[in-house]
Amino acid sequence: MQPSRREDLRLIAGHGRYSSDWNLPNQLHASVLRSTHAAARIARIDTAPALAAPGVKAVLTHLDVERAGYKSIVGGVATKDKNGELMKKPFYPILATDRVCHVGQAVAFVVAETPEQAQDAVDLIEVEYEESPAIVTFADARAPGAPAVHADIPGNLSFVHEHGDEAKTAAAFAGAKFVTKVRVDSQRLICNPMEPRACLASFDAATGRYLLHAASQGLIAPRVHLQQITGVPATDIDLIVEDVGGSFGIRSSPYPEYMLSMLASKTLGVPVKWTGSRTDTFLSDYHGRALSLTGEVALDDKGNILAFRWEDEIDLGAYAGPFGAFIGTQNVSIMCGGVYRVPSVFVRSCLAYTNTTPVSSYRGAGRPDIAYAIERLIDQAAQEHGFDNLELRRRNFITPAEMPHTTAAGQTYDCGDFPAVLEHALKTVDWSGFPARRTQSEKRGKLRGIGLASYIEAAAAGAQPKDQTAARVAADGTITIYCMAGGSGQGHETTFVSVFAGVLDVAPDAIQYRASDPAFAMIGNGTGGSRTAAGQGSSFTLLAQALLAKARPHAAKALGVAEVSYAKGVFSGGGKSITLKDLARQVAPADAGTHPFDSEAEGSYGATYPNGCHIAEIEIDPDTGVTDLLRYVAVDDLGNILQPMIVEGQVHGGVAQGWGQMFGEHAVYDRESGQFLTASFMDYPMPRAGWLPNSGHFDRVPHPVPTKKNLLGAKGVGESGCSGSLPALMNAMMHAVRPAGVKELQMPVTPAVLWRALRDARAKAA
Amino acid sequence: MYAFEYQRAGSVAEAASLLAKNPEAKLLAGGQTFIPTLKARLAQPSHVVDIGRLKELAGIEVKGNVVSIGAMTRHAEVAASADVKKAIPALADLAIEIGDQQVRNRGTLGGSVANNDPAADYPSAVLALGATIVTNQREIASGDFFQGMFSTALQDGEIIVRIVFPMPKRAAYSKFHHPASGYAMAGVFVADTANGVRVAVTGAGSSGVFLWKAAEAALTKTFAAASLDGIAVDEGECIADLHAGADYRAHLVGVMAKRAIKKITG
Repeated sequence: MQPSRREDLRLIAGHGRYSSDWNLPNQLHASVLRSTHAAARIARIDTAPALAAPGVKAVLTHLDVERAGYKSIVGGVATKDKNGELMKKPFYPILATDRVCHVGQAVAFVVAETPEQAQDAVDLIEVEYEESPAIVTFADARAPGAPAVHADIPGNLSFVHEHGDEAKTAAAFAGAKFVTKVRVDSQRLICNPMEPRACLASFDAATGRYLLHAASQGLIAPRVHLQQITGVPATDIDLIVEDVGGSFGIRSSPYPEYMLSMLASKTLGVPVKWTGSRTDTFLSDYHGRALSLTGEVALDDKGNILAFRWEDEIDLGAYAGPFGAFIGTQNVSIMCGGVYRVPSVFVRSCLAYTNTTPVSSYRGAGRPDIAYAIERLIDQAAQEHGFDNLELRRRNFITPAEMPHTTAAGQTYDCGDFPAVLEHALKTVDWSGFPARRTQSEKRGKLRGIGLASYIEAAAAGAQPKDQTAARVAADGTITIYCMAGGSGQGHETTFVSVFAGVLDVAPDAIQYRASDPAFAMIGNGTGGSRTAAGQGSSFTLLAQALLAKARPHAAKALGVAEVSYAKGVFSGGGKSITLKDLARQVAPADAGTHPFDSEAEGSYGATYPNGCHIAEIEIDPDTGVTDLLRYVAVDDLGNILQPMIVEGQVHGGVAQGWGQMFGEHAVYDRESGQFLTASFMDYPMPRAGWLPNSGHFDRVPHPVPTKKNLLGAKGVGESGCSGSLPALMNAMMHAVRPAGVKELQMPVTPAVLWRALRDARAKAA
Repeated sequence: MYAFEYQRAGSVAEAASLLAKNPEAKLLAGGQTFIPTLKARLAQPSHVVDIGRLKELAGIEVKGNVVSIGAMTRHAEVAASADVKKAIPALADLAIEIGDQQVRNRGTLGGSVANNDPAADYPSAVLALGATIVTNQREIASGDFFQGMFSTALQDGEIIVRIVFPMPKRAAYSKFHHPASGYAMAGVFVADTANGVRVAVTGAGSSGVFLWKAAEAALTKTFAAASLDGIAVDEGECIADLHAGADYRAHLVGVMAKRAIKKITG
């Protein structure tokens, strides 16, 4: 049996402390009134009946938010388009002002003595809506004469982002022997962390400080956003977070309830708590994906790639959410050449508003989508123009000899061995044995397919300039280490402690880890972009070195020698020795003041390029349209691996989420009414453990090519499972159904969708 | 959830009297549909009368050629019962396909049948096997019991006590799980009984569980999967929604029926 992670016993035994586990004396409870319409003018809100209800202490509307001077929720990008224009960005209110723009938008916030009283009072608020037509898809938003989500934004067009060389790319296409075009939809998803959102805010009038408990992925960005919105200095907000039950990108910025709880606490003079339900998750957590990419590849007669050209349609939702525009501009653009030597690229992304919940980052945030599109395009090009799909890749791979390689999209890949990774994966899956396996399936009346994807993604770059860490040494010699990244299942306690303890050469259980302690006003990135091992991990390496450097002279003094050596937690010199822990105890100040070994460290590390080759082998039951994932191989170059079990879990989880998007998950709005149709697990299928291959059929194989861009050689893991699995699964699907005459499929390929596609193809052939 | 008064009945008679006294009262069995309904504030009963622990409603008994199952018997107990596996293995096979382990540990036969969800599994077995629903007031034949989606012959205050299943000569259940909810998107219970071949369909019909008469006639002639070739349920009678069209559900009914027959014929 594999060793468990340090945090597992605590979490499994129910000792985790999540957002709704925090309570304070005299706290009140809040409940949110949400819009039942996708698009409507609010003619009137009458809160009087709710205010008169038992236990109700306050009912906040946009008027209270405005009175407090709170501003727009933060989001969007600051880049300019080719005409020098900034993105068109509506005011994103904490509570709806004179209109609602999506179902689930927060309209009022009731605070009462009990959660039930607050919920009862929500039902008593009278809102008079004047409905107007809603649009819920990019295509409908951009259609001529479409209703405007925001009156001052014509055509619902927020921004047009361009990247690359349009003229050079056009010339390459003009001279191409072969051109292939593929459109891929990456449908809107619900991110669905296990823990629904909750918060507890408390204002201390004596100090003017706020205490806030709410799930987050780090300590800097949420407090900066809170400052921009509420005007409260970030340094006056103590954001205390211990455990977070999943984040996937959507827990990195504050939601309306957090600001409203702060405001209500200040107004009422007592702490205010809000606990969301799964329904709140579906309706009001930021959604994921919601984009369509149309790619074209230009090839010469031998199959050399001359250029890629992309037209991307990005559905932002009703407002510019925290990272929606970032996904639609930077993240879908910078990796748009993939692992291939592509002389020229051009991307045009159109970002539009719809009457839907705003979109933000979800596991990969645009990177799985572009990886999916590229690998579909390569497979399709091979199919259309008679190239072998392996040979076409081999011919165009950037080779190790060409590293470092600056792509036409402007990224510099520092290292990687894409050809070797492909061969490793082909061997692992027994690619050449597939035809015999297909024959076996055919005998049983099943369709079988195999598909691969050579993906790459940019990881580890952060928005903050550096990652700082700190160590504090207690009088008993124990060491606690800190950083600003918040964990939500990544196993930070295990990984960071083992990195730090490894440098000190002591047992990990001698070290304690605390995430996100605001007493240290440090700088550091949140958890996201598959970056904490590379960033914080490297900084913890420096931190251990700094601590040892501080301890060394004290050891020499204690042992009465000029020079000491250090190994396995023990200083030695002159025939004597002392452990680091005993030394720390000896030199501890009597007054519990600063310990002489207290240390700080910081580092700044650039982007890394995790890559890999994923292969899926599937079998379809044509009678039902059910697809069975028989075999999955993930050969990943994630750089050096610090904790194999954690890395394996991350790959497994990413592939499972890829499975979910490929075969079932879809957040659907009614096209006419704008109502949200998939607001519970009764209608929104999540991937089940039993739907993935059993061990023995699911290989996760490391193929590390360590990077020199950080101290640990780690490239990062977390999102790669989605980037590899979406294209591998769809390429396997197309391989299986193409002989049956199916030419195109879009995700999610549910059994019903697949059965219909096969039936229609049969009818067409007949 | 709205506030209500919770009462745990000590007997079926007491539960009936509590229902009679409080017109807005509702029964709580295993709570697998009712509790989520309450949590979503889709029901506002004045009283919730809990009958889930009543001993007189629990248990499985085989007598002669019938299997009698108490209304509050949990799905997990039916699935694991050696008596059921021996007497009507298809019924145990059905029970193990309901929900997940947590649902099976809480959900009850009586609760499922009284709710008559159009995608629930048990109604198909009750109908195909020609079971008798025994209430605190009377006995109801399965053919009279199910009256369309979420609608049954139960009167106000009437409580299912047990369901009596005659043993078939042979039977099998085949189910296509809804990808999100796990309910039946199409579930077909085929039973060769003393009163002839019966084929009950759940999950697909827009009026809830129903007997597929054409299939019964074909199987009566020749009990083989091939007998269903060229026969289909009417698409117009099938559910069409976000997840699947009526044509797909109609098609699935045929596939599941054949698979159930093949389980029997091998």
